Amino acid sequence: MGYEWDFSPVWRNAGPLLEGLGNTLWLSAWSILLGLALGLALALLRLSRSRIASVAALVVIEFYRNTPPLVHFFWYFFGLPILIGVSLSPFAAALLALSVQSGAFFAEIFRGGIVSIERGQWEAGRALGMSEARLMRRIILPQAVRRMIPPLMERSFELVKTTALAATLAYGELLYRAMVIASQSFRPLEIYTAVAVIFFTVLFLASLGMRHVEVRLRRGHR
Amino acid sequence: MDYEFAFGEVFANADLLLRGIWLTAALWLIAFATALVAGLFLGIARGSTRKALNWVATAYIEVFRNTPVLVQLVWFYYAFPVLTGIQMSAFTAASLGLCLNTSAYCAEIYRGGLQSITAGQWEAGRALGMPYWTLMRRIILPQAVRRMVPAFTNRAVELAKMTSIASVITVHELMNEARTLATQSFLPLETFTVVAIIYFVLIWPGTVAASLLERHLAAKGA
Repeated sequence: MGYEWDFSPVWRNAGPLLEGLGNTLWLSAWSILLGLALGLALALLRLSRSRIASVAALVVIEFYRNTPPLVHFFWYFFGLPILIGVSLSPFAAALLALSVQSGAFFAEIFRGGIVSIERGQWEAGRALGMSEARLMRRIILPQAVRRMIPPLMERSFELVKTTALAATLAYGELLYRAMVIASQSFRPLEIYTAVAVIFFTVLFLASLGMRHVEVRLRRGHR
Repeated sequence: MDYEFAFGEVFANADLLLRGIWLTAALWLIAFATALVAGLFLGIARGSTRKALNWVATAYIEVFRNTPVLVQLVWFYYAFPVLTGIQMSAFTAASLGLCLNTSAYCAEIYRGGLQSITAGQWEAGRALGMPYWTLMRRIILPQAVRRMVPAFTNRAVELAKMTSIASVITVHELMNEARTLATQSFLPLETFTVVAIIYFVLIWPGTVAASLLERHLAAKGA
């Protein structure tokens, strides 16, 4: 293989690439925040006593968990504006697609965490005369949150990877910047390799961080 | 919201979407079948006591799990040919990328499943004078695979969703046909809604099967 690597186009474009990484992280952070809020709302609806609310939440959760994210990116960018009469920026469409879908996944994690707490805990709280809301806040959630943190983090890493799909809407995140640079410099190999390395570094470090948190959570539990 | 839906035109182009579904299914089947095989060897290597083998498998798995699939597909389609001088068709590049990605996840499932088999089973097989691969095929895998089935089913679901990303590198699978149809008909809202529902109908049974299998195994105490 006599190919001569030349990474100079990567270094020359370090500025735009780093800016792209910044946009990737910016989109990720907002999507995670909005997704957590939506997920909590969906989980509470799912657990509520109202049958209609519970079924409605179930339908939304199952639909979004079982359809490809790319369809949602296109639906929110090209479809939704027709319905609401307002055009969306690539960022807004990507944010909606990502947060609604991860909200569906987060909801299941929240629900699973709450359901996993033994019934005895509820009964003990009630026996002490605690109100439902107080019992939830003081007894159930503190225990449940511990169990939710690792899967919530894992899902958030999935979300960071999914933000790359925003490149298809021409949102200037890392991959889109790389596509533009690759077509100008005719050095796709070096540039796409660099993008893979950047994503890997960020996500691998994050997953090491997660392992650390998991160990600490387990230690704290004892 | 007084938009008048025109689903008729989308259904009039059902043949286009059906062709897409066919290619989506082919992509899914090829990638999943090859990933199951490749994943087995990777999983064994990952659990190996030989340092070099273990290290290579770990590096492979971490790289594919910590980068976005879209970046992997773009890399195989646009960057890999520069390195090797071999221009793959979009379908081949997508199959390869999806296979390698899924094999990394399958490897972890195999490793977990193999580790769950107690050492006594290995020792008994060895005491009977069985060679490694016979022992693996006859004793270990039949027990381990049963425990892995739900995880593999979940992986199959993830892969089915991922196939849509092949549309970005111009594979004419369902999502790609949908984009063409949405542009030609000026009906993105209807098209992407219909396509999302098609994906849901194709993928949801897999999720249901995975949770039924999980419950079945839990009931059996495996």
